[in-house]
Amino acid sequence: MRSLQSHPVKFTVLLALVWAFVLVLPTMVVASGHGAAAQQSKVAYSGGPPQLEKAKGDACIRESGWMRRNHMDFLKHRRAETVREGLRIRSESLVRCAECHQSHEKFCDQCHNYVGVAPDCFECHSYPK
Amino acid sequence: MLSNFTKIEGRSFSYWRIIILLGVLILMGAGAFIAVEVQGHGITGMNNKIAWGVPHVFAISLLVMASGALNLGSMSTVFAVKQFKQFGRFSAFLAIALLVGGLAVLMLDLGRPDRLLLTVMHMNFRSMFTLNVFLYSGFIVLCVLYLWSMFEYQQYTKVVGSAAFMWRVILTTGTGSIFGVLHAREVFHSALTAPTFVALSLSSGTAISIILLVTTFKHTKRELEDKVVFGLRNALIFFTLLVAYLLVVEKFTKMYSPAFYDVQSWILTGPYSWLYIFGVWGATILVPLGILFHPAKGNSIKGVYWAAFSAVIGTFAMVAHILLAGQAYPLNMFPGYEVSSVFLDGVSATYTPALVEFILGFGGIAITGIIYMLGIKFFRMLPDKAVAPEGYELPWNP
Amino acid sequence: MTMDRRTVLGLGGVATAGVVLAPGMTLIASPQPDKTEASGDQRWAMLIDVNKCDSDCTACTKACRQENNVPLFGDPNRDIHWIRKLEIRDKEHKRPSVSLPVLCNHCEHPPCAHVCPTQATFKRKDGIVLVDKHRCIGCRYCMLACPYKARSLVYHKTTIPEDGNPKVPIRAKGVVEKCNFCVHLVDEGEKPACVQACSKEGKNAMIFGDLNDPDSEISVKVRTVKTQTIRADLGLKPHVFYEGL
Ligand code: SF4
Ligand code: SF4
Ligand code: SF4
Repeated sequence: MRSLQSHPVKFTVLLALVWAFVLVLPTMVVASGHGAAAQQSKVAYSGGPPQLEKAKGDACIRESGWMRRNHMDFLKHRRAETVREGLRIRSESLVRCAECHQSHEKFCDQCHNYVGVAPDCFECHSYPK
Repeated sequence: MLSNFTKIEGRSFSYWRIIILLGVLILMGAGAFIAVEVQGHGITGMNNKIAWGVPHVFAISLLVMASGALNLGSMSTVFAVKQFKQFGRFSAFLAIALLVGGLAVLMLDLGRPDRLLLTVMHMNFRSMFTLNVFLYSGFIVLCVLYLWSMFEYQQYTKVVGSAAFMWRVILTTGTGSIFGVLHAREVFHSALTAPTFVALSLSSGTAISIILLVTTFKHTKRELEDKVVFGLRNALIFFTLLVAYLLVVEKFTKMYSPAFYDVQSWILTGPYSWLYIFGVWGATILVPLGILFHPAKGNSIKGVYWAAFSAVIGTFAMVAHILLAGQAYPLNMFPGYEVSSVFLDGVSATYTPALVEFILGFGGIAITGIIYMLGIKFFRMLPDKAVAPEGYELPWNP
Repeated sequence: MTMDRRTVLGLGGVATAGVVLAPGMTLIASPQPDKTEASGDQRWAMLIDVNKCDSDCTACTKACRQENNVPLFGDPNRDIHWIRKLEIRDKEHKRPSVSLPVLCNHCEHPPCAHVCPTQATFKRKDGIVLVDKHRCIGCRYCMLACPYKARSLVYHKTTIPEDGNPKVPIRAKGVVEKCNFCVHLVDEGEKPACVQACSKEGKNAMIFGDLNDPDSEISVKVRTVKTQTIRADLGLKPHVFYEGL
């Protein structure tokens, strides 16, 4: 009876495998882009560096370089505060982005396609084409 | 009585046939999951009145059986019923297998399974779900420890086994409370819902153990003494009576109060009455008891086997009744009034389950099956022969 | 514009707002300070006078659908209704039937939020119960817990309708949604769409306001007329009151 040293190890391995299956499956679905978080039509990227449409206004609410690097965190952080705390900063509302950057395809998608990301924000939020 | 545990051979054609069959079922389940995620829950039969459908019936039945499967282990470890000691490993392992199968279905039916991690990041401790997450993971850990102690450190078996036993009572209470705490649902809002789940887990766990033991021992050509099975039979009778008792008490209390006349007569005559009469009372209680008390059938392995089979089907039916009838019964927003609207207020909800839901559910059962099949092949789960201890006499026979 | 309570409260904000205001943003267009946040000083609630509600009027439900892009799938089992008209009648049919709208009650003790495993459903500081659709995992436990059938799962993919309201996002499939007291309008100091539509229809059956403000119309009414909430016995303290039920 005492010679079963290896069993718990094997056992743990088996359990881990099963759990991995259960947890990995949803993750795979997301990764494959088929999840409910269905992502935007990915336009195969062709051509040189992204060409951004020129913005309408004089200046962005933050410095452009900062925006380029941080807009996603900025939006996401604000998203939580807006939904949950009711924070409304009217001058910095997402709706107002479109006042200057008037086309999703000519502005947002340009970089997003270039770097191959497909955020699903605009599955629900509307933004001018 | 010293039992000698061995792995099963697991090389025969029929073994591999079962493995392949289960594998195919799992793949089909995975396919169903992906289909639902891509197409949305629109391809299932669920709707805004019956938001929890067949997948939940499968998942919750498996979870209920999981905690019940630990029975044999608990009976030997905690209550010193010697002839079940040989099934301790089997029972703890089966519990894990059932739990994993059930949880898989539960998780794969989410509207947004891709966000599963959020459950861990933003726990809401007031939610019965969150409590259940802890209860389930704790249960798995305890079962693993219990198994481990049975394999290696028998001096700890008693402690871990007792802890696992207490945990499982709380666990099933938690599962039952998912429903019992919902005040708005008259069909299942009751303090007795959780105890009924505990009793149901005892009877269904014993039943599934009977089925698996009898089949496994038969196909591996091991010896399983009749007396041992009859011991399980007696346990099954007792637990089934317990379920019946709780059901009767619950009905009795509710029938006594005029406020519940509507619900109760709806349960007995409404669209789900067939499930209540044939499923809850027929398959879970009357059929098993009828067979087990029968002097000839109750004393044959075959009879016990079929009684257990009926009890397992009955468990699914009972969970289905609680869930589906519970949701189908119109919410009583204006007691004493008739209600109607475009949103189908005041009428019983209808629900036609879609095939994908069943495929998903059977996928969960297949996960359980494959874990069990691989487990008994790779570990020494089962005794060479299961015999009752020397001089053991059954206290009772039909 | 009168100096109502909200403006007074927001005065601190206005001072700074003038500085941060972006070009093209005028104070006249928006009476609100640039930055606001939900606060416990308010407790939004609704009062519906059933006597003024007609059984063939659906102005509120139509307005809600339009304002919030609430989809109809053509399947009565799965259609989403944030607000619906109910016809109720005593079982003996002795009295005429009564028609009334039912929406999320924005309960003080919302069971939907209590059961939500991810805190996707939560109560804002000002009492509005919301679903954070970025966080909902679609488990549907809240749908079982709500006694008023106020919640729906989005069963099918939806798209932003042609004539839809671009200010309100649509919801992805697989999440649960319900009435949000038109939080985007309330935060701008406006009334919810259903209430506006009701008064535009000339019925004035619905009023909306802040219960914490003792002088608001709704506070006065709730104090002086006999009002009821649906299933008060459940103890959830709904914040949609009914008069004349
Ligand atoms: S009415 Fe329903 S959805 Fe609304 S807050 Fe109350 S329980 Fe939640
Ligand atoms: S469906 Fe969404 S909102 Fe409802 S309980 Fe589950 S996670 Fe929370
Ligand atoms: S308050 Fe707004 S979201 Fe709620 S029912 Fe009225 S219009 Fe619809």
